[in-house]
Order: sequence, then C-alpha cells, then structure tokens
Amino acid sequence: MTVGLNAFLIVAGLLFAVGLLGVTLRQNTLVIYMSLELMLNAVNLAFVAFSRYNGTMDGNLFVFFIITVAAAEVALGLAIIVALFRRRQSVMVDQLNALSH
Amino acid sequence: MTAAQILLAALLTPLLSAVLIACFLRRRGTLASYLSVAAAAGICAFSYLAIQASEAGPIRAAVDWLSFGNFTVSMGFLFDGVSATMLTMVAFVGFLIHVFSLGYMADDKAKGRFFGGLSIFMFSMVGIILADNLIMIFVFWELVGFSSYMLIGHYLDTDEAAAASKKAFIVNRIGDLGFLVGIVYAYWHFGTTNLEAMGAAVNADPSLISWVIAALLMCGFIGKSAQFPLHVWLPDAMAGPTPVSALIHAATMVAAGVYFLIRIAFLFPPEVLGWIAVLGTSVAVYAGFCAYGQNDIKKILAYSTLSQLGYMSAAFGLGYPGIALFHLITHAFFKALLFLGAGSIIHGCHHEQDIFKMGGILKKMPITSITFFIGVLALCGVYGFAGFYSKDAILVAGGLDSTVIFALLTLGAFLTAGYMGRLVWIVFFGEPKSDAASHAHESGFSMVLPLVILAVLSVVGGWIGVWPEATGEIIRDNLEHLHHAEGHDAMHSKVMILGSAAWIVGLLGSFFFYGVGKNGDALQNRAKPVYEFLKARLWFDEIYGFYVAKIQQRFAVLLSFLDIFLIKGIFVRGSAGLVGLVGACSRSLHVGNIHGYVYWFLAGIILLWALAAGVAL
Amino acid sequence: MLDILFYVFSAITLIAAVLMVLTPNAVNGAMCMIVAFIGTAALFVLLEAYFLAVIQVVVYAGAVMVLFLFIIMLLDVDKGEGATEYNNKLTIGASAIGFLLLVMLVFTAFSGDHLPELGLTAVTENPEVFDGGVPFTTSSKSFGYSLFTKYMLPFQVAGFLLLAAMIGVIVVSKKHDVAED
Repeated sequence: MTVGLNAFLIVAGLLFAVGLLGVTLRQNTLVIYMSLELMLNAVNLAFVAFSRYNGTMDGNLFVFFIITVAAAEVALGLAIIVALFRRRQSVMVDQLNALSH
Repeated sequence: MTAAQILLAALLTPLLSAVLIACFLRRRGTLASYLSVAAAAGICAFSYLAIQASEAGPIRAAVDWLSFGNFTVSMGFLFDGVSATMLTMVAFVGFLIHVFSLGYMADDKAKGRFFGGLSIFMFSMVGIILADNLIMIFVFWELVGFSSYMLIGHYLDTDEAAAASKKAFIVNRIGDLGFLVGIVYAYWHFGTTNLEAMGAAVNADPSLISWVIAALLMCGFIGKSAQFPLHVWLPDAMAGPTPVSALIHAATMVAAGVYFLIRIAFLFPPEVLGWIAVLGTSVAVYAGFCAYGQNDIKKILAYSTLSQLGYMSAAFGLGYPGIALFHLITHAFFKALLFLGAGSIIHGCHHEQDIFKMGGILKKMPITSITFFIGVLALCGVYGFAGFYSKDAILVAGGLDSTVIFALLTLGAFLTAGYMGRLVWIVFFGEPKSDAASHAHESGFSMVLPLVILAVLSVVGGWIGVWPEATGEIIRDNLEHLHHAEGHDAMHSKVMILGSAAWIVGLLGSFFFYGVGKNGDALQNRAKPVYEFLKARLWFDEIYGFYVAKIQQRFAVLLSFLDIFLIKGIFVRGSAGLVGLVGACSRSLHVGNIHGYVYWFLAGIILLWALAAGVAL
Repeated sequence: MLDILFYVFSAITLIAAVLMVLTPNAVNGAMCMIVAFIGTAALFVLLEAYFLAVIQVVVYAGAVMVLFLFIIMLLDVDKGEGATEYNNKLTIGASAIGFLLLVMLVFTAFSGDHLPELGLTAVTENPEVFDGGVPFTTSSKSFGYSLFTKYMLPFQVAGFLLLAAMIGVIVVSKKHDVAED
C-alpha cells in the first residue's frame, strides 16, 4: 500500500472538521452529540494511523481506552439528555436557553 | 497628696463636672449649676494647695502620651511662678463668675448646657495654664476655642449667636493654622516642644532663636487675643450671655494668648518684639476709637477689652513680659467687674442692652453702680486703683522706648477715659429712658457679692506688695528692672502727669460733650460723618466678608467642581464603571446558547495554538 | 489494490459523516453515523489494527449507535424539526472558525517534516521486547499482553469509570417522584 500517513491524517482531519461543523450548525442536541462522537472517532483514526506508522502498539491501546470512555460518556450523556427532555420538553438548543430574555 | 496629684485634681475637677452634667444633668439645670460652682470652688482650693506646694520650687510632672519611633508627645505640668499667678487669677475670677451666673442664668431654659460649657471651659483653661509643652498647649487651646464656640452660641435659636460663634471659631482657627505650623517648625528646629527644654536650648545657644518660629507661634496669639487682623470676632462674641463675656472674652481666654506669649518669651528676637509692640499699640488706639461708635453696653466693653489687650501686647513687645502679666491680672479683675456689672444692669433692665435706653441706674441699682464706678476708675488708671500700677508701668516702658509709642498709648488712655465716661454719664445718670429701665431693681445676692469682691480686688490688686509670695515673681522682677532702667525717674513723673491728665480730661470732656443722661449720642447728632466713620470700624468685617464671599467662595466652588468631576466622576465612578464594563463583557460570554460557547471554545483554541506556535503576543 | 480500498472507504466515511450532519431527520442521521463507523472500522483494518476494528463495530456501531437510536426514538423528535439555522451570527462565526481550523490542519499536514514512510509488513509473532513502546503486531495476544502489563492501571481505572457511569446513568434517568422518596 502506497498510501502514506498524511492521507490518513487528512481523512481524520476532515472527519474532525465535519464533526465540528455538526456541533456548531445543528440545533438538535442529539445530533450535536453524534457529531461529538464523530470527532472522537476521527481522533481514533489518527491514533491508529500514527501507531501503525511508528511501529508501536501504544496508539492502539490508547484507542481502546478512548472507545471505552466514549461509550461510558455516551451512556451518561444520553441519560442527561433524557432527563433534560423530561424537564424542558424539548431537545432543541435554542429552546433550552434559560439565560436569554 | 503630691504636688502633681494636686495639679491633676485641679485640672480634672471641672472635667468631671462637665462630664456629669453632660451625661446626667442636662435637664436638671439647678443641680448642674451647683455642681459647676462646686467644681470652680474645687479649682480654687486645689490651686491654693498647689501654690503652697510650689513654694519649694516649680512643680514638674510629665507622662508620655503618644510615641511614634523617637517622636513622643507627652502631657505634663509645669507649675512655676507665672502659672501660679495666672492660675490664682483664673480660679478666683472664674469662681466669682460662676457664682454670678447662678443668679444671672436663674431663669434660663438651658442652664444645664451653660454650666456644662463653663466647666469644660475651666478645664481647658487650666490645661493651658499648666501645660509644659507646645503640643499640649495646642490641644487645650483648641478645647478653649470649642468651649468658646459652645458658650457664645448658647442662645442657639437666635441667628446672631449662631453666626457669632461660627465667626469666633473660624477666625481662631485661622490663627491656629499658623500656630500649628509654628509647632511643627519648632519641633523640627529644637527637636522637642517642651518649654523648659527649649528655654534651656536657647539659653545655651542664642543663635537658635528664629524669627520664623516666633512669628508663626504669634499667629495663635493673634487669633486668640484678637489682635490685628483677626480681631473681628471679639465684638460679635458679645452675642453670648454676659457671664460668658466676662469670663472668656475679658478675663481669661483672650488673656490666654498673652499668657502663651509670656511662656515662650525666650523665643522672641528683638525685631519680632518690635512688631508686637507696634501691633499692640495700633490695636489699643483703633479699639479706643471704635468704642465711640457703639451703643450696646457690651460692645463698648468689648472694644475696651480689645484696647487693653493691645496694651498687654505692647508691654510684651517692649520687652517686659512680667508687666504684660501684671496688666493681664489687673485687667481681669476690673474687666470682669465691669462685665458683671453690665450683666447686672442688663438683667435688671430685663435684657435691654442699648445704653440710650437706660438711664438713672444709679438710683435704682446703687451697689451695682458703685462697683461699676470703681471698675471704671481702675480701667482709666486712676492713681491708687489696680489699673494704675500696670498701666503706669506700660506707659513708662513705652516712653523709654519710643516717643511715638508713648504718645499713642497716652492717646489710648485718653480715649479709654472718654468712652467709659460716655458710658457712665449716659447709663447711670439722668432719667430712665425706657420702661424696663424705670422698673430696674437691684440684683440678688448671688450677683452682687461677686461684684463687691471684684471691686475690692480692683483696688487692691495693683498693690503688688501684698500679693502672695509664690505669685508675681516675674512681675516684681520686671518692675525692678524697669525701675533701674535709665531715665526712669524722669519718665515716671512725666507719665504721672500725662496719665492723670489723660483720664481727668477724658472723663470731664465726655461729661461736657456727651452730657448727662442725654437721649441720643452727641457725636452722632452733631458730627454724623465722624460718628459713622467710627462706627464702621475701618470696614474690617466688610473686607473679610467680601473676600470670603467673592474670592474664597469661588475657589471653594472650583475645588468642589474638581472633586465632583475628577475624584467622584473619574476615579470612583470610573473605576466602578470599569468594573461594570468588565462584568458586562464577561456576562456576554454567558449566552446560554450552546453554539456561542462553542464559538468561545474555538476562539480559545486558536489563541492557544497561536501561543504554542510561538506567535509573539 | 489496498490503495483503492483506502480511497473507497475514506469516501464512504466522509460522505456518511457529511450526510449525518446535514440531514434534518435524526434517525437518518443515526443511520448515516453507523455507516461512518463501519467505514472507520474498515480503515482500521487497512491499518492492520484488526482487534480495534472489531471492537469499533461491536461497541461503537453496535452499542453506542443503537443506544442513540433508542433515545432518538424515545424522545420522538419531529421530523423536520432541528433543521440547521444558517442565519445566527454565532453559527456563522463558529463555522468560520471551524473552517479555519481545517485549513490550519491541512497546512500543517503538508508542511514540515514528513514522518518516515513505512511499508506495511505482516507481523504476527509474539512481542519480545517490552522497553519503550510496545512493538507493533497484529495479534490480539500482544494487545492483551500489553494491556495487562504496561497499561494495567488505566485498565483498572477504566473499569471503575464504567461502574461510575453505570451508577450515574441509573441515578440521572430516574423519574423525579421516584427519586424523591
């Protein structure tokens, strides 16, 4: 395979950027959350690429932990969103804004 | 008790009385008056004990009050011959005036406040007399000023009393500014403010005498003893009750300035003394002229006081502080007598003070009249009375120094006799000119007794030979010195002749010019412009009023504008506004909108990235 | 051949990601997300991280996204609601900065020193050396080995983390009247 490290990094970067766009552009909390997961995923990709190209396992192991933590975080985050929905009856960010007049 | 304890008792007795009156006896006027009189008697008793104790030598005691590093302020007593003399006079005259006030203020509504004020005044005055360093003198100086303010403004629902008390206090403060600067300079110059220490330093090294210190310290004297140009408060101070005028503005407080000068006499170089002599003489003559334009009995006596203060400072300026002290003591006796007599008359005429509404008082109030005459004779310097000896000595000293001063002082004596004669002929003789005067009756025992005692003192007080041993030493020294001065005997006979001529001509002249028991002022009737000119008193009040209203007020408005605009506006409000601005900016971060927060995250990341990449900020 | 696979799977991943961000329907978004995760798993395979690829599919695409779908359908968000709002100033600002970040990334990636281009080799032996970084192998055995020796502490802590998350989920998602007993 002649694809180098840079290509993988570009892909990871693009994924990250798309995830960032999703965070900033969307109103739905759940979609924002999914975009956050996308960003994490991009980081995973970058880690694995570096790990492979450095010839060590450390990157892979770190991705293992990232996946673990992300899973826990998703569970908890969704629970919070559900609780929020119970309170405010909405998941749209502009309707959740309690500080604005 | 030790000597220091006696002095402390003398100092604190009136303070205790004042505190008790202020805390408990404000409504119980009678009880307050008795307490105050008892305190005054206490001062007399303790000062007698102190004089006995000081026969061995001056009493000294001091205690450190404050210390910062190697600067200490101490409170202490220095009880030597001068203070013994002064204390005797103040205690005794004060006691008599307290007794007089029992009768005079009997039906006043605010008696408690009055007697509390008198007690506080006695405390402050005794403090000045006993103090041994400049700072302590200054503390009690201010206290005396405060007591004066409180007592002048006793009739606080009249405008003129309130205005007069303010004027007195403010004019005093102007003098005190110079005083304070003088104290600071003296401390810087000598390293101490203790009187004895400074005296010793000057004795050892006469080059330490500095005219600046003398001039500055003199400012306090000018303010307190109503010399030029700060004399304007004394006539207005007559708005207070008559015992107050007698005690404070005749006998003791205004004399405190002269006493202070005598205490620091060693600090004065000859040129400053010359200035003081000139100042004193000019006041003596100026006040003499002004008295002719006044119709209020108390104001006439006030100008007379001003004139005699001029004599005292002239004596000091001629180099004889002992004679100044002598005149101070005798003046206290007969001026207090005159004021109390005037008070008795005013009380008898139901608070009428215009001399042209009185008349025929001699028939109605004989004892008051006789004692008043004795006081007048003492004031005019008639031979044998108290005033003669001191005035005679001053005139001799003046004559030996300079002819101009001598001429002016003699003119002053002539004027004194003139206006006092005017007062006597109009008030005591002739027919009563108003209802109040025709119903006048002799005052009660408590008012008459002090008059009689003071009359006796006005005669006897000048016979320096009969004074107690411990007092009057400096007076005797100065008189000795004067007697042995060159040309004394020739001058003495000249003074005897001219002095006697002055008062004889003055009294008779006023008799013929003003007439007995006339309705109106003869000078006003015959030469109105002259009368008006004399009444204007050289327009000092008007000049000061103009200055304060036009110049100083504008400056004060400017300062107030700066204060509001600069300090309040820019510094205080500005800094608060700055904080508010920061708060508003921080608040804008908390939009509640999640996307806004993301925006700030990203901005922060860019910033950190730039920092990490080494972009110099 | 592997290059072509790389390009194909990269394209799939990116297109799915973009679709996920842009679609107004949340369920569709979740579906696209699953596709993106599978694409990423494929990329992991291309990088010879086989264990991770499987973990990615099982955990991420299988558990996490299914959980997402549950919640989306539980909350019953209306279709069409939650369309993007392009007019908000904050949105425009954030988008601009995101784009800027992307540009910076690309610039950084193409400038400076490149990392050494290594050819891929099939390595299936057990690891021998344990100092410094753990040498790369494709076997799960070496994965597990380093997990239980070098990375023991993070492993245990991750266990605690999962426990805490579990308890947290239970507490947070309780209904109020039940919780206030």
